[in-house]
Amino acid sequence: MDLQTLILNLSRYWADCGCIIQQPYDTEVGAGTMHPETFLRVLGPEPYRVAYVQPSRRPADARYGENPFRLGRHLQMQVILKPSPDDIQGLYLKSLEAMGIDPSVHDIRFEEDNWESPTLGAWGVGWQVLLDGMEITQFTYFQQAGGIDLAPMTAELTYGLERISMFLQRKDSIYDIEWGGGIPYGQIRLTDEREASTYGFEVADVDMLRRHFEDWEGEAVRCLEHDPPLVLPALEATLKTSHLFNLLDARGAVSVTERVGLIARVRANALRAAKAYTEQREAMGWPLGNALEAESQEKGAV
Amino acid sequence: MASFLLEIRTEEIPANALPGARRQLQNLFAKHLGDAGFTAFQTTVLSTPLRLIVTITDLPQKQDDRIEEMTGPPSRIAVAEDGSPTKAGLGFAAKAGLPFEQLGRLETEKGEYLAATVNHVGRATSEILAEITPAILSSLRFPKMMRWGLGSFLFVRPVHGIVALLDDEIIPFEAFGITSGTTTVGHRVHSPQPFEISHADRYSETMAQHSVMVDPAERRRNLEITAQHLASTVGCMVHDDPRLVAEHVELVEWPGLIVGSFDRDFLELPPEVVISTLRHHQKCLILEFGDGTLQPFFLAVIDRKDDPEDLIRLGNEWVIRARLADAAFFFSEDRKLPLEDSIAGLERVEWHRVLGSLEAKAERLGRLAVTLSGQLNLDLSTESLCRAARLVKADLTTHMVGEFPELQGVMGGHYLRLEGADEELWTASRDHYRPVGFDGDSPASELGRVLGVADRLDTIAGLYAVGEKPTGSRDPLGLRRAAQAIVKVIIDTGWALDLEKIVAEAVYGVADQATEDIETVKRAVTGFMADRLRRWLTDVTGVAGDTADAVMASGWFNACETVARAEALESVRSNDSFRALALAFKRVQNITDGKAEGDVDSSLFEHTEEKELHDAVLEFHATLERLLPEHRVTEAFEAMIPIADTLDRFFIEVMVMAENNEIRANRIALLKLLGRDFLTLADLSILQIDGGE
Repeated sequence: MDLQTLILNLSRYWADCGCIIQQPYDTEVGAGTMHPETFLRVLGPEPYRVAYVQPSRRPADARYGENPFRLGRHLQMQVILKPSPDDIQGLYLKSLEAMGIDPSVHDIRFEEDNWESPTLGAWGVGWQVLLDGMEITQFTYFQQAGGIDLAPMTAELTYGLERISMFLQRKDSIYDIEWGGGIPYGQIRLTDEREASTYGFEVADVDMLRRHFEDWEGEAVRCLEHDPPLVLPALEATLKTSHLFNLLDARGAVSVTERVGLIARVRANALRAAKAYTEQREAMGWPLGNALEAESQEKGAV
Repeated sequence: MASFLLEIRTEEIPANALPGARRQLQNLFAKHLGDAGFTAFQTTVLSTPLRLIVTITDLPQKQDDRIEEMTGPPSRIAVAEDGSPTKAGLGFAAKAGLPFEQLGRLETEKGEYLAATVNHVGRATSEILAEITPAILSSLRFPKMMRWGLGSFLFVRPVHGIVALLDDEIIPFEAFGITSGTTTVGHRVHSPQPFEISHADRYSETMAQHSVMVDPAERRRNLEITAQHLASTVGCMVHDDPRLVAEHVELVEWPGLIVGSFDRDFLELPPEVVISTLRHHQKCLILEFGDGTLQPFFLAVIDRKDDPEDLIRLGNEWVIRARLADAAFFFSEDRKLPLEDSIAGLERVEWHRVLGSLEAKAERLGRLAVTLSGQLNLDLSTESLCRAARLVKADLTTHMVGEFPELQGVMGGHYLRLEGADEELWTASRDHYRPVGFDGDSPASELGRVLGVADRLDTIAGLYAVGEKPTGSRDPLGLRRAAQAIVKVIIDTGWALDLEKIVAEAVYGVADQATEDIETVKRAVTGFMADRLRRWLTDVTGVAGDTADAVMASGWFNACETVARAEALESVRSNDSFRALALAFKRVQNITDGKAEGDVDSSLFEHTEEKELHDAVLEFHATLERLLPEHRVTEAFEAMIPIADTLDRFFIEVMVMAENNEIRANRIALLKLLGRDFLTLADLSILQIDGGE
């Protein structure tokens, strides 16, 4: 199964499970979790189901296209189910069938792997899912995001699409997997990985990055202090600062002591954006509904 | 007699949470049932990653009936003049659960009291279980707990089903929003359909029919036997790894195993890299020849009985090939530049939030190593120590150690060796994190020992200085193990090191970063080291706790010499005369305690026993001066023994507390003189000797 068929099949499957099929966010992010469709939607009582592919940029992980397993930008398929359904593990195992994997002839394991993002003030507990010894999915029950305790709880599934493709296609290098129509991944992405590595490790203008960090940080604060707060613009500006931090870090320009401070600055705005979002949605009367109230009404009726 | 079964079905519980959960369930059921008056029952707690299981056998169907004789308040308080009950009388009646008129009277020496005979009818066991089980479940604690769905419940993972039976009868209760019943499911692959448990006694057998091995001990036996068998099919033995096996036991409902292979070329990587890849990343059991050489095979544990289409083996082999290729890539990347070039990167890696970067750590390490080497008069130059301090830490910035942190030191050793560094240097890098606590060998070279000890001293001093000392069972940074390793290296090597002095140097080395008072830190770290040395004496040297205390009371800063004294004292203390001596010495201590020392004037002696003792003390003193420089400690302790009789006679014949001030002071001075020489070896008054006063 080529990469694009994998994406299409997973999208189709999760759409059939009631997910909105979203598109990648058009701001650089380090993980699908930072997409507002995850980071903001998990907040508050509104139920939501969404799936999307998110190209995730991690400049420090780039390897000039020389390492067959590591990329500076990789694709994540992100699935968000809120509240987490009772049969979530069953739904997940069925998604493997959409990938052409018959769970009855494989060894599928859920091994503890908890997740934490200091930058987003978020953490969750869960597993890495192993297929015949290969990690194919990160499975997390979010417990907190934006520093806010969550209720209802969200289940997040993150499929590492290149790794899964390598495994399904039994290729020894990411660059050899077939993307679609017989075209290998390397044809489409190798040059881009090399250039991004050179840029991130050698060329990126540190002074400019620092300036822009300050600028976008200020912009995030301005959006947050606008009356009423501009939630999405504030989050976007914060995501910019997060990416700029990652670039500075890859460039080796962040000292040990500075690192903690910069992360704390990104986090502060992420937390404020999260709070502003919940206030905005509450003021709107939770337009998508209130899962917690629906539950208590049901109980009342019994 | 009836049997109780409880099965809590969940999503995969983390392996490290299961042993604790079993212990808690065992204790909580024992306690709650004990409180309810049950005695002879047997509790067994089992688990799989997907279930917590409690079985209790030999339970009666109900509690025994119980007759309780209650005594209430005095009648004069409880009964009014007119015979009607007062508030106190009514209160007692309510407590006894009887109408006031049915209460009895009890005559005592102190007057008449209200009394009642209450017949407690035993409650049904099922009723009690229905009450205590949900209470126990809600009191279980796990290292990390979570919420799911609407967030109403807190547990280790979402709960999906509860079976609760007393024999064949449901124990009804609700927990985690689920009502208890009889339905469960079998193995996820082999038997996913729901089915009923008909009777508590048939649970294990029924689960086995549905491909779930519920007993961890049985899974373990099964795994070990299958592993040995499979290893022999490829002519290998299983590398002994009880911890990994114990983890696998908690990770599967049915322990399956497959044998796989990888390309022999990967065996050209350092063996530690191959082992880390297989073991830490893939949790595979390692296969080797009888001589310990690695072979290109592995065993992977799977949670099922079979590999019906051979896909699982192929998948695991693919993953392991990819992992090994990745490691090979890192190895060749790291080898592109000499390790020396990585030193520049130390500054960019934080070692500790307050104590600074790895560069700062290596700088302090170098300085302390120079001091240590100086104190030991070792032939190591300042330049070579400072350079080595950075080089042995340089591998922390390499790709390989980034990927396999457990290979710190080992990788540096390989890189330095391949670059043609001195054996002393590359083995120092390889060895300086060893031993781990008291386990393992000390570093092979002097350089490795100096760096290893200095590194750990700096770590302990640093963390104490910023208020991160270990407390109770919490020692996340392994400071106890670090201190134990220091003790072991000193003793293994036979270093005549003054621990108090070197601890002080280590503490002064972190003074600039310290958030605590430096003198307090120094005392605390010194005490911490004393504690670890005592542990060595009792656990490794194998002496009694009071032997350790007795010799340490006479000084312990020189660890090797302390061990020698402890061994000597332990060997002589069972001698009868020595026991008598220790008892007499207690008397010496009591009499001379707090008294000033003075010169002994033999012209003031009135008894021959005084002169005899004085001669014995002088002779003992001379013996010590002769033996101790030659470290003949056992003989020194043995030389004490003949004094026992002399001292005994002295105490019989001589009244120490004489009327005459001069004579009294002279006798005290004599005992004090004896005490001083004895105390250079040990404080015998600390020994707990049978037949003591």
